[in-house]
Amino acid sequence: MSDPMSAPILRFDGVSRDFSAQNGFFGRKRTMRAVDGVTLDIPRGKVTGVVGESGCGKSTLARLALHLLKPSIGHVYFEGNDLAGLKPAALRRQRRHMQMVFQDPYSSINPRFSIRDAVMEPFQVHGIRHTPAEGKERAARLLEMAGLDPQLAEHYPHQLSGGQKQRVGIARALALEPNLIVLDEPTASLDVSIQAQIIALLADLKSRLGLTYLFISHDLGLVRYFCDRIVVMYLGAAVEILPSTDAPHRHPYTRTLMESAFLPDPERRRAVTRLTGEIPSAFERPPGCAFATRCSFASGRCYAEKPVLLTTGRHAVACHHPLD
Amino acid sequence: MSLLAVDDLSVSIGMVPLLDRVSFSLDRGEVLGLVGESGSGKSLTAMTLMGLLPLIGGRITAGRVRFDGIDLTTLPEPAYRDLRGQRIALISQNPMTSLDPILTVGAQIDQASRLHAGLSAAAARARSLDLMHQLRIPEAVAIHGQYPHQLSGGMKQRIVIAMALAGDPDLIIADEPTTALDVTIQAQIIQILCDLVAERGLALLLITHDMGVVAQACHRVSVLYAGRGAETGPVHDIFARPRHPYTKALIGCIPREGQAPGTLVGIPGMVPTAFAYPKGCRYHPRCTAAAPDCRTEVPAGSIQGVGGSIVFCHHPLEVGHV
Repeated sequence: MSDPMSAPILRFDGVSRDFSAQNGFFGRKRTMRAVDGVTLDIPRGKVTGVVGESGCGKSTLARLALHLLKPSIGHVYFEGNDLAGLKPAALRRQRRHMQMVFQDPYSSINPRFSIRDAVMEPFQVHGIRHTPAEGKERAARLLEMAGLDPQLAEHYPHQLSGGQKQRVGIARALALEPNLIVLDEPTASLDVSIQAQIIALLADLKSRLGLTYLFISHDLGLVRYFCDRIVVMYLGAAVEILPSTDAPHRHPYTRTLMESAFLPDPERRRAVTRLTGEIPSAFERPPGCAFATRCSFASGRCYAEKPVLLTTGRHAVACHHPLD
Repeated sequence: MSLLAVDDLSVSIGMVPLLDRVSFSLDRGEVLGLVGESGSGKSLTAMTLMGLLPLIGGRITAGRVRFDGIDLTTLPEPAYRDLRGQRIALISQNPMTSLDPILTVGAQIDQASRLHAGLSAAAARARSLDLMHQLRIPEAVAIHGQYPHQLSGGMKQRIVIAMALAGDPDLIIADEPTTALDVTIQAQIIQILCDLVAERGLALLLITHDMGVVAQACHRVSVLYAGRGAETGPVHDIFARPRHPYTKALIGCIPREGQAPGTLVGIPGMVPTAFAYPKGCRYHPRCTAAAPDCRTEVPAGSIQGVGGSIVFCHHPLEVGHV
């Protein structure tokens, strides 16, 4: 057996997830594939970024990682265990080691819980009891770790700012001392100044606690700054995996994403390439490459034959005509 | 003379003063970025310019707003109605809430043309389709007959822009027009807005918290903090030589290409609420360069550098101090 520390903490093995929708009460039932055949290792102690536009399946992937959603096809392994094969009690034990920070701190904290109750909720869920004095001490320490004044424990969510609430979300995710934290757009609803604070806090916690992050974002600039490797998703599939943030991108979609991100430098304005065509519907997935309708390099082959994710070294790309 | 001139504008809601002596100006063919964090008074400025303050119980307490020679601060409501939509149009952040869900999007653009340009139904439809073509909406005829829920967010925002253009306005106020959109769509929409300014000689007031969007689209920038102006100047000058510590910190919040890990720190603390504005310079509790006079004296504006930036700071950063 290989060194357990070098084994990935989380593995997606051919994972797909379908959702069905009905057109009206008597309407036809239609199925859409939100995540399509993702195979991906999440290495321990690293930040893996997942980027893509709305509807690309990145949030579904986050939920699949924690088994909040079951895969329709394929398996998710956490620390080598297939999460779908675990009994509820065993799954709950595993869940202690994997936590999530949600995008919207306004709706992820119960407004009727005090901040202390919110931070202590994970212990309750897992049946870990504290004396009142221990509980107070524990909550205070968690709030401090997230850069909050422990006095805030007595407050309620509506008394906190968005940034403070997101810190509460982080404190709660840290409560059970997890190994893996899935961050689903944790700064998307915050001001840039607060976003930078939260990212600095996450980076500090990672190095102090040896955490592994799966960081979901639509902000490529932020992902390039914060992550060790980048997974680019388009219409449910991973189309490119960049082994490092400065690796040259090879998928035309990744290039489009990069060119769409404006730099904070008026001397380097982007020439915006006009995208033609719409994103295909996940209900009617095209037989070939999903990006072909918007790609300037698309050939007949792209419309007919779906490209597979090919790995060269540690770089993987799913494209018939990758860029050099 | 500028198309829009805002001079020492102060606005209160109820008894609470929110904007304090804000000034900026905007010309035809120009994009002015109005930037700052939440709570800086950006959207309130937009409401004021649209004459919508009474809706939220607000009023102008001092200063003047002149639009094409018209004093908007004393303009009676019936006269404001003739301006709104026809000469000054608003594009709001959330295209989902600016469209009526039970009308087709085409009908809504037609309505704007009929109301503001007095066109007949047939002429309004032709004009809507023409506008949709200009905004590069594919299959305009089909989309004209669709309802908002059938369209993507980016497409809905284009419909809202088409509605704003229907009255052939001179000034467009765009309040965070791309915040709810994906980056690829944001890039398209910003490009469309910039093209409109260049082609039609529109004036665009672009309200945003995203310094990336400012750097891409604006000619000039006005930075607000806690209801007051911090710095106003040409975009190249502001980014190359920010003189207000807040401007510099705000630019520093955006990760740059190849930025070393651990160097993105943000701005400590947060924008104070209107009930707890500190004395002196309102930025001083978060400022790394705060001195004793910053705690007591409100800084006056001073003109700095060849670009003519106006900076409200007792201790502006030296040129080259980037």
